[in-house]
Amino acid sequence: MKVLVVGETVNGEVQNITYELVSCAKKLGDYVTLIMSDADVSSIDGRVIKVNAGEPNPVYYKIVERVIELEKPDLIVFGNTSIGVDLSSQLSTNFPIATRVYNVKSSKNLKEVEVRSMAYGGKVVVVLKLRLPAIVVINAGSYDAGEGMGKASVEELELKYFDIDDVEFLRYIKPEVEDVDISKADVVVSVGRGIGDEANIELAEKLANLLDGVVAGSRPIVDQGWLPKTRQVGKSGKTVTGKLYIALGISGATEHTEGIKAKNVIAVNTDKSAPIFRISRFGAIADVTELLPVLIDKIREIREK
Amino acid sequence: MKVCVLLRLVPDLVEELEISENEVVPFQYIPNERDEHAIEEAIVLKEKLKDVTLDVVGIADPDSADEIDEGLGFAAAKGADKLYKVILNRQTFSRVEIAKALADFLNDRGYSLILTGVQAIDSFAGSLGGALARFLNLPYIGGAVELNLNEKLYVKKELEGGISAEYRLPLPAVVGVLSAERPLSFVPFTKLRQAMKRAEIEEVELEVPKISGVELVRYETPPEPDVLMLEGDVEEVADRIVEVLRDISVI
Ligand SMILES: Cc1cc2nc3c(=O)[nH]c(=O)nc-3n(C[C@H](O)[C@H](O)[C@H](O)COP(=O)(O)OP(=O)(O)OC[C@H]3O[C@@H](n4cnc5c(N)ncnc54)[C@H](O)[C@@H]3O)c2cc1C
Ligand SMILES: Nc1ncnc2c1ncn2[C@@H]1O[C@H](COP(=O)(O)O)[C@@H](O)[C@H]1O
Repeated sequence: MKVLVVGETVNGEVQNITYELVSCAKKLGDYVTLIMSDADVSSIDGRVIKVNAGEPNPVYYKIVERVIELEKPDLIVFGNTSIGVDLSSQLSTNFPIATRVYNVKSSKNLKEVEVRSMAYGGKVVVVLKLRLPAIVVINAGSYDAGEGMGKASVEELELKYFDIDDVEFLRYIKPEVEDVDISKADVVVSVGRGIGDEANIELAEKLANLLDGVVAGSRPIVDQGWLPKTRQVGKSGKTVTGKLYIALGISGATEHTEGIKAKNVIAVNTDKSAPIFRISRFGAIADVTELLPVLIDKIREIREK
Repeated sequence: MKVCVLLRLVPDLVEELEISENEVVPFQYIPNERDEHAIEEAIVLKEKLKDVTLDVVGIADPDSADEIDEGLGFAAAKGADKLYKVILNRQTFSRVEIAKALADFLNDRGYSLILTGVQAIDSFAGSLGGALARFLNLPYIGGAVELNLNEKLYVKKELEGGISAEYRLPLPAVVGVLSAERPLSFVPFTKLRQAMKRAEIEEVELEVPKISGVELVRYETPPEPDVLMLEGDVEEVADRIVEVLRDISVI
């Protein structure tokens, strides 16, 4: 099987997902990686086609389309990222597509491929068969980036008479300046929609104080304005890497768990089938609004001793 | 300027799902959160620009057709001008098939801007926005968290890890909204009831074409997690968490 990896760069830097995709492609057969900027691609393993188009842009689906015509891959793999979804969805009118994929089964048969996808916020695994040539959109964290690193053999490709002016990239907008950097904190107390009420954020703050940690949250908490954007954990937020992550009333959607790389995770949730338990070392089925006051008192007692 | 937002119901994941090999049956449906954000952002645009008329198109399968009315009522209470209820003649997980059906409906209605949510929780075979844009031959951008109009459309798009970028595109266009630029506004019950009484919903039936290439093999329940459960009442759970915190030397 021949695989086309659609790599990603931001601000001239190859993104980690690119290596993960290469690692996936390697397991399936022959592969080539497409990079659409002037980034340094030397550590991508294998053949790299470089089209120096510029910063990430949804309209580059037209470039991918051209490269598909040239390379005739059986499978085209994208990352399940902001730009990966823009590009792949615009090509899905021409190719069968599976999204949120975490596993692609290699197949000798060049007619179809079987993939596994994690849908319904992580509560259901979907097994799909795609007729080739097809598109798969792969979740970050599904493959080992290290295996996609190596030595590149780069071919520059110039696309002449090519018009891509529909969507213009204007500028990057850097994250807001932050009071604390949750990605560097050792202990993170994180709240999700299960916290119920804005007033309950204070409970999380008390617990965080007692543990010398910081408060973070899931996207809905940030969307509602209960916590600043700099405190969001997940795909479009930050990745936490410390010693402990306490997830309070967080369901554990893959978009959230992508941002959890802490050594220990304790999850508290009323739903015993919440996907968050799958990435946790310790779990408790409890109402966080009942548990927190009790837990805070107990820890305070110990601290005061 | 005519703006259209798509609204759809999705399974409420806080409730149990019934999972069998060929079916996932939810206990109840709720409006797709990203679509609610798309409606909110359209209302923000309306406030910024004044001359915007907003159509909200509720999309349903034959067996959940009534449940969308409340969602449309919310949209009306927030300021939508016209409501449609599109009933798809058959269920499908393929977003490309849905996109084709919707493109046939949306084509030639004079919309300058079509907003969808990005990534519904139950999607696994495509993403609607980009496919819809291709069928309509319009530019597409997803991941939008802020929209501004000044002859062209300015979109703040979220990338990964807290980084965003600004893009400019001509109208008409299709945009996938991730979050509105402000929190969802609250609709009091009385206002919702008034809106639902007043609202006229135009019903349309749409045929969903078959586009082959993706076949469902089966649905599966994910494997049991490898987690140590701290069991007991609240007191006991708290004690056990304290023990864990000690073991990993946090306290
Ligand atoms: C492109 C894209 C990017 C995204 N990026 C991010 C991201 O960066 N970060 C992120 O977090 N999300 C992100 N999301 C959203 C993500 O898909 C989920 O919707 C989100 O993570 C859900 O947040 P939650 O767990 O707080 O809420 P919910 O999913 O609503 O879960 C609430 C949980 O609380 C439990 N609960 C309820 N009451 C209680 C109680 N009293 N005590 C204990 N438990 C209770 C429920 O059982 C449930 O499990 C993104 C989505 C998209 C489409
Ligand atoms: N029947 C449908 N199936 C899927 N998505 C739909 C449907 N109808 C409308 N949509 C829209 O598609 C958006 C994006 O979902 P996704 O399918 O994940 O790309 C949703 O937020 C809805 O606005």
